[in-house]
Amino acid sequence: MEFRDYYQILGVEKAATAPQVKASYRKLARKFHPDVSKEPDAARRMTEVNEAYAVLSDPEKRAAYDQIGSGRQAGEQFQPPPDWGAGFEYSGAGPGAGPGASQGTDYSEFFSSLFGTASGARGPQQQRGGDHHAKIAIELVDAYNGATRQLTLRSAAPDESGRVAVRERNLTVRVPKGVTEGQFIRLAGQGSPGFGEGPAGDLYLEVVIAADPRYRLEGRDVHQSVPVTPWEAALGGAIEVQTPGGRVQVKIPPGSQAGRKLRLKGRGIPGGTPGDLYLGLNVVLPPATTDKARELYATMARELAFDPRQGTGAES
Amino acid sequence: MTDLEIVSGVLLDDVALTLDELACACSVRPDWIVDRVREGLLAGRTVPAAEWRFTSAELIRTQRLVYLEVHMDANREVAALAADLIEEVQRLRKMLAVVGPPPSRDAS
Repeated sequence: MEFRDYYQILGVEKAATAPQVKASYRKLARKFHPDVSKEPDAARRMTEVNEAYAVLSDPEKRAAYDQIGSGRQAGEQFQPPPDWGAGFEYSGAGPGAGPGASQGTDYSEFFSSLFGTASGARGPQQQRGGDHHAKIAIELVDAYNGATRQLTLRSAAPDESGRVAVRERNLTVRVPKGVTEGQFIRLAGQGSPGFGEGPAGDLYLEVVIAADPRYRLEGRDVHQSVPVTPWEAALGGAIEVQTPGGRVQVKIPPGSQAGRKLRLKGRGIPGGTPGDLYLGLNVVLPPATTDKARELYATMARELAFDPRQGTGAES
Repeated sequence: MTDLEIVSGVLLDDVALTLDELACACSVRPDWIVDRVREGLLAGRTVPAAEWRFTSAELIRTQRLVYLEVHMDANREVAALAADLIEEVQRLRKMLAVVGPPPSRDAS
């Protein structure tokens, strides 16, 4: 693993005071905040900045990092020594809820091997292990039907020789049917181990539904665009549509215009109060690439007194 | 070393968090949350604190307030204002995603 220069990442001197570290962090948090940043790699940079701040803002972690990082350069190969961690006790938490962060599990192997992934506790001393937070990405169809997803979580623990090693564990998580964007799945006992006889903390997984160009979400409501022919829109009729919940037959009312929305009640994301599915009609014209097609368009032009610009202010 | 476990979780909102659970999940003391609920900075509650239950959205908001106050040095009112604005931006972005972007102005 490569050594990380947290001072370089935060852009501060090694002698920087705590207020200077915080000031630099705040400046970088504004620059790389994923909600506002135009930088192409903002999310990755924000994670690096959060990680550096988690160490340099905590006097205990910073002292330990300074001791081990003395004389090292960023990018140089690095292994924590066997007695790493002796004499240090960590009680603080990093900026776990910071922009782009998902406590612990997003941090680098370098961070995990030095400090573990526990979120710690600023509150009273507790025997219970810390809670962890991570994100779990699912497809929209998984929200309809439920799914299982495999996660790889990293944490640091001493091996038989006392050397701190990064331990990976795979969790196969059952995602319940009816989850929506931003909801949490709570996995009891999957956080940090407890101290002494204390129980383990919990793992909170924030649900992220992967973007799908076919669908747009609004809470439990789902919006989908459906291509229809001009005659289906004009004359009405029944069409079959593939929706996230399966194939359905939909009646197109006669005289429908492009952009008209049909609501299929209760066919959004399932739940106690299920969402609705909105089908936006997208009228697609057949291409005029054959003589027959051109003839039909010409007939319509002659026979139909139709000016779509009339009354719009765009008429000639 | 790799272990394989199969686990099922509970969906927050089906089973909401107690005050102590929320405090633990956000690494703060329960009274930190009580203060902000009483001041209307977190969702208002009329029942006794022991009966409070918190949803996914309130967990996210609490984490955001902790972050803004602790790491960005915002006072609690400014943190709540920033959280309100972030939530509003997210709501508007979702709405924009549903209705589509505004038409281009540079069409000739």
